[in-house]
Amino acid sequence: MPVETAATTVLPLMARVSTGDSRFLLASSAPAQAETAGDVPRMPSRRPGAGEQYRFHVDMRKCIGCKCCVVACNEQNGNPAAITWRRVGEIEGGFFPTAHRSYVSMSCNHCLNPTCLSGCPVDAFAQDRDTGIVLHSVDACIGCQYCTWNCSYGVPQFNPERGVVGKCDMCHGRLAQGQAPACVSACPSGAIQIEIVNVDAWRRAVARAAPVSGAPSADTSLATTRLTLPSTLTPDARPTDITAVVPSEPHWSLILMTVLTQLSVGALTTVWLSQLLWQSRHVVAAALSSLAVGLVAFAAATLHLGRPIYAYRAVKMWKRSWLSREVLLFAGFSIVACAYAGMLWRGLPGSAVVGAVTAVLGAAGVTASACIYRVPSRPSWNTPFTLVQFNLTAATLGPLFAAATDVGNPRWLAVVTSSAAAVAIVVLALRFFRLSASPVAELQASARLLATQLRPRLVARGALLAAGAIAVPLFTSNRAALIVALALATAAEITGRYLFFVSAVPKHMTAPYLGAEAA
Amino acid sequence: MSLRRFLGLDTRSEEYAYGHDPVVGYTSAAKIPDRWVATTCGYCSVGCGMFIGVKNGRAVSVRGNPDHPVNRGMLCPKGLSEHETLSGRNRARHPLLRRGRRFERVTWPEAIRTMAARFRSVRDQYGADAIGVISTGQLVTEEFYTLGKLTQLGLGTRNYDGNTTLCMSTAVAGYKLSFGSDGPPGAYEDLAHADVVFLVGANIADNHPILWQRLEANRSKTLIVADPRVSKTAMLADLHLPLKPRSDLALINGLIRILIESGRVDRDYIASHTTGFNELCASVRDYTPERVSSVTGLSVDVIYRTASLYANARAAFIGWTMGVNHSTKGTETVTAINNLALITGNIGRVGASPFSITGQCNAMGTREAGFASSIPGYRKFEDAADRADIARLWNLPVERIPESRGLAYPDIIEAALEKRIRALWIIATNPVVSFPNHGVLRQALETVEFLVVQDGFHPTPTSEMAHLVLPAAIWGEKEGTYTNSERRVSKVNRAVDPPGEARSDFDIFLELARELGFADELFAGWTSPADAFEEWRRVSAGRLCDYSGMTWDLIERQGGIQWPYEEGASEDAAGETRRLYGDGCFRTPGGKARLLPAEWEPFPEPPTDAFPFVLNTGRTVEHWHTRTKTAHVPILDRLSPNPWLEINPRDARVLRIRPADRVDVVSQRGRVSNLQVRITETIAPGQVFVPFHWAAFNANTLTQSAYDPISREPNFKQCAVRVEKTGTHD
Repeated sequence: MPVETAATTVLPLMARVSTGDSRFLLASSAPAQAETAGDVPRMPSRRPGAGEQYRFHVDMRKCIGCKCCVVACNEQNGNPAAITWRRVGEIEGGFFPTAHRSYVSMSCNHCLNPTCLSGCPVDAFAQDRDTGIVLHSVDACIGCQYCTWNCSYGVPQFNPERGVVGKCDMCHGRLAQGQAPACVSACPSGAIQIEIVNVDAWRRAVARAAPVSGAPSADTSLATTRLTLPSTLTPDARPTDITAVVPSEPHWSLILMTVLTQLSVGALTTVWLSQLLWQSRHVVAAALSSLAVGLVAFAAATLHLGRPIYAYRAVKMWKRSWLSREVLLFAGFSIVACAYAGMLWRGLPGSAVVGAVTAVLGAAGVTASACIYRVPSRPSWNTPFTLVQFNLTAATLGPLFAAATDVGNPRWLAVVTSSAAAVAIVVLALRFFRLSASPVAELQASARLLATQLRPRLVARGALLAAGAIAVPLFTSNRAALIVALALATAAEITGRYLFFVSAVPKHMTAPYLGAEAA
Repeated sequence: MSLRRFLGLDTRSEEYAYGHDPVVGYTSAAKIPDRWVATTCGYCSVGCGMFIGVKNGRAVSVRGNPDHPVNRGMLCPKGLSEHETLSGRNRARHPLLRRGRRFERVTWPEAIRTMAARFRSVRDQYGADAIGVISTGQLVTEEFYTLGKLTQLGLGTRNYDGNTTLCMSTAVAGYKLSFGSDGPPGAYEDLAHADVVFLVGANIADNHPILWQRLEANRSKTLIVADPRVSKTAMLADLHLPLKPRSDLALINGLIRILIESGRVDRDYIASHTTGFNELCASVRDYTPERVSSVTGLSVDVIYRTASLYANARAAFIGWTMGVNHSTKGTETVTAINNLALITGNIGRVGASPFSITGQCNAMGTREAGFASSIPGYRKFEDAADRADIARLWNLPVERIPESRGLAYPDIIEAALEKRIRALWIIATNPVVSFPNHGVLRQALETVEFLVVQDGFHPTPTSEMAHLVLPAAIWGEKEGTYTNSERRVSKVNRAVDPPGEARSDFDIFLELARELGFADELFAGWTSPADAFEEWRRVSAGRLCDYSGMTWDLIERQGGIQWPYEEGASEDAAGETRRLYGDGCFRTPGGKARLLPAEWEPFPEPPTDAFPFVLNTGRTVEHWHTRTKTAHVPILDRLSPNPWLEINPRDARVLRIRPADRVDVVSQRGRVSNLQVRITETIAPGQVFVPFHWAAFNANTLTQSAYDPISREPNFKQCAVRVEKTGTHD
C-alpha cells in the first residue's frame, strides 16, 4: 500500500466562485465564443509582439481529466513524482443523474504582477521581456520558499532534493524553438493551448471583471490564464475535495525561529525597561542569555533555507520583500543587542539609549515577521491577528524570561506576563469564532481542523499558557518555579505557532484527490 | 545528503539539465535517448503506436507515434509513463522454487525440469486434464499460438483458458451466436462517421482516453451513454441514460420493440441477411415502454427519444465494454445489441457497427490464435471439418484435435477446489486480485498440488502463493504482434533486455516443450516468435481473421494492418480501413446472421435489509488492472494513491458519513476495510462504487461467484453490500 503523504491542503481556484470572494471571481465564458474541439490551433503562429505575451488557455469543455498533461510535464522536466508543476482539479455540482464534474488543469498563470516575484528576497524570478513568461533562476534561489506562500495558486514548489523551488516556465525552451509546451502537445483533447494576449487589454478586462474571457483573476497578481467554462457547470459546483482537509506542513525551523526571536525581543525590551525603571542588577546575565536565544533563532531560520550557505543573499530585495526586511531588521537587532549587552557588561555609559534602539529594532523585526505571513494565499494568516499574536508572544515570554533570570520587579513582570497571556487566550477564542463564522472556505476549513484533529493540541496550548504564564507567575516568585513557568509558557507558544502553521489552509489552484496529493 | 547539498552549494543541476532531442526537441536531458524503438502500447486494446526511448540499455522515455493510424501521436497517462513499468522494483528476476514457506532461487534448467516433472507426474497419476492453464491477454499473438499448441497438443489438457474470460469472453460468445464467428465488425474510423454513437456500460473517457479523442473529433454525432453511474463519459454525452444496474438488456429489447412497432426497421436487410425475425418480434412483445421504464428507471419519453435517435441515424455505432460483459446475462445482452444493429442494418457499413471495445492489449490475439475457447483461426471444436482442416495444416492425426473445449476459467478454479485440477499454470495474470469471490479463489490456489506462476512481476499476491515462479519478459522486452479492438495487427518490439534472468514467454514455452519431448513435433525448427508468426499466417489463411498477406515488415511499415488481409492483397489495401460483413454474408452455416431472443432478468444478488447497497466495481484512468504495473510508476501512483468508495450524499447522510471518512464495505462473502469515502452525486442513491485495482482493498473479496452460463464471465458489476463507518477523516 502506498503511504499517504503528509499533504498540504489544497483548495482550488474554483472554490472562490462559491465563497463569494470577489477578488477571486471567476468570470464565465461568453456565449459568443463558439469555438469547438479541434478547431483551435494549440500554438499561435507568431511570437508575441510589443505589449503582448504568451498565456495558457484551458478549455474545460474539452478536458476529460486524464492527467496526460501532469505526466507529460513531469517527463519534460525530469521532476520526481512528488512535484507536479501542472495539476488537475475536479469540480462537481448538480444532483444525480444530472450531476456534472469538470476538470481544471492548471500550472503557472504567468501573472502580469507576479507575487512570487515581488516577494522573493533574492530576485530569483524574472518576467521574460519578449514572452511574459515568469522564469525562476535555480542559481539565484536560496530555497526560502517564501514564494510558495506568496503565490495564490501554489505554483512554485520546493524540491527538497535540490534545495530550491521550481515552477512551470511554460516550456520556455520549447517555445523558443517553435515547439509546443509538453502539456499542450500531450493533451489528447487539445484542451490546453498557448495564446497571445494583449497585456493592456487583459488588464482592462480583469479590472472590469467583464465576462469576456473566463479569466481567473487572483488577488493583485493578474493571472493571464484564460479558462473556458463548460455551460454544464452548475451554480453549486465546488471542488470535490473541499471538505477533505488535511493539516499543512509545520515548518519546525520557522516555529522555533519566530517564537525564539519574539522571546528574545521581549526579553531584551524588558531588560531595557527594567534598567530604566528599577536599575536592576542582573540585567547583564539576562541580556546575554536572551541574546543567545535570539542567535539560536537565527540559526534555526538559516536551516530553514534549502541553501543555507547563501543566507546572506536574503537581504538583497529589502526594497520590496518583507523577508529581506525581516532579515535586515533582525540582523540589526542582533548587532545592536550585542553592543547593548556588551555595554551593560562593561558598565559603559549610554547603554539606556542603545537599549532603546535594541527594543525598537526588535519590535520592527517582529512586525516584519508578521508581515511575511500577510499573504492572500493563506487567509488564516492574512489578518492583523498575526501581528497581534506575534507581539503577544513577545509580551508573554519576554517578561517571564526576565523574571526567571531575576531581573526587575517580579510582581510587575508577573502582571505583564499574565495580562499578555490572558489577552492571548481571549484573542485565541475570538479568532476561532471568527474562523468558524467566516464565509471563506479556507477559513472554515482551518476552524474545522482546529475543532477536530488539532483540538487536543489547541487545548494543550491554552492549558500550558494558563499554567506557565498566568497561574505560576501570579502565585510565586520562586526562581525555580519561574524557570518551570517559562518552560511551560515557551512550550505553549511553540504549540501555538505549530497550530498557526498547520491549520493554515491555503488557497490553491487545483484540487487533489482526497487530500492525497501534496502541495 | 552530502555536505555540499546540505549547504546549498549543489543543486543537482546536471540531473535536472535540459537538452535537445532531434525528434522531441527541448526536454529533460535525462529523458533524451540514444535511439527510439517503435512499438505498440502494452496496456489496453486501443493499440496506440509509440516509441520507447532507450539510453545506455535502459528505457528512459516514450513518445506517441504521430504517424500511427490509431492514436496519431497521442497517448494516455499510462502510456506516457510506460517506460517506468520496465524498471519497477517488483519485476521478477529469477526463477524461484518454494521450499517450505520460503522461495529459493533456482537455475532455469532446474525450474523447467521441476515443472515438467511435476506436470508429468500429475498427468500420469490423474490424467492430462488434471493440469489447468490460465493465461492472459498480455502476451504477443505468436506466444498465444505457441502456448495453445503446447497446452492442447503437448500437455494434452483441454482445461485451458485466459483471464480474457474475466473481460470479453461475453463479447466473443455473443458475436459467435449472432454472426457465427468472433470478430468485432467495425473500425475506430466508424466513431468519426457515425451520426449516433450509443455506448452501453462503457466509460471510455476514463478507460480508453484515446478512443474518446477519436469519438470527440466527430462533431456532428449524437452520443448516447447508458450507464448507472454518471461516469466521465456519461457526463459528456448528449443523452445520458442513468438506468438501473443491469437493466441494459431490458432497455435494448424495449428499443427493438419500439422500432419494430413503428416500422422503423430495415425490412430488406432483415429478409436478406438474418434469420429469426419472427421469434425476435415475439420475444420483445412484453418489453413495452411502460415495463421497460419500470425495469430501467428511465422515463417512457427518454426511451422513445433514444429509439428515435437510433432509428433516425444514417449510421449508428454501438460500443460496449464491461458494463455489458461483466454479467450473468452478458452474452444475451450482446446478442440483443447485435439484434438492434441487424434489424436496422447498422452493420458492415461506414460508421455502423455493434462494436465490443476490448480490454487488454492483446486479448484479441488470444481469441484469434489461441487454442482455448476455439481452435486457432476461429475454428470450432465441434466442427469436424474445422478439426480436419487444422489437423491437415499441422500434419497431425485428426484424433489429436480435441472435439470440445475444456473448462473455462471459473470452472478451472472450481475444479481446483474439487481436486479435479491438481497442477495449475498461471501466466501473466493476478487472479488473487482480479477474480471474483476472493475467498474461494484463494482456497482453490491453496488446494492445487503444484502452482506455477509465470509473470513479469514478483511478488504479486498470486505469485506469492506459487510453488514455482518463472520470471518473464514483458512489453518492451520482446517481439511479436498485438491485435487491437478494431482487428488491427500491430508490431511490438524489444527495446531493452529483461531484468535478471527473466526470459520471454515464448522462450519459456519452447523450453518446456523441449523438456517434455514434443518440441520437434509441434515446433520443429522454431527459434523465435517470427517462426510462430509464419505458421500462424498459414493457419489463418482463408479464415475470417486472415493474416496470410501480412509480414512483420509490412505491419511495421503500415503502423498496423486490419485483418482480414489475405495473401496477394496489394500493399495499398493494407492501409485501408476494413470492416466485416459488408457483403451481408455471415459465418453461420446459412450465411445469415441470427436474431436471437434474449430475456432480461434481474441481477443475481439483489440488495436486502442486511446488505442494502448495490456495489459496482470499476477502474480509474491512472491504473491498470491489479496495479502490478502502475503501482510502481511513481507519477501514476501519486496521482491515484488510494482506492475509495463513492456514495450518494443522501445515503451518506443516513449513515452519518462525512467526506473522507473511513468505511468498511461488507458483502456476504467478505469485507474491504478502511476505504476512504467520496461523497458524490455521480452515483445513484442505493448504489456504491469501488475501484478494483488495489490488492490491499480487494473489491473482489466482495464480489460473487455468479457466471454467465454461456461465456462463463463473472457478474462483477452488481452485488449486495452494506457500508459501515469505521473512522472519521478529522
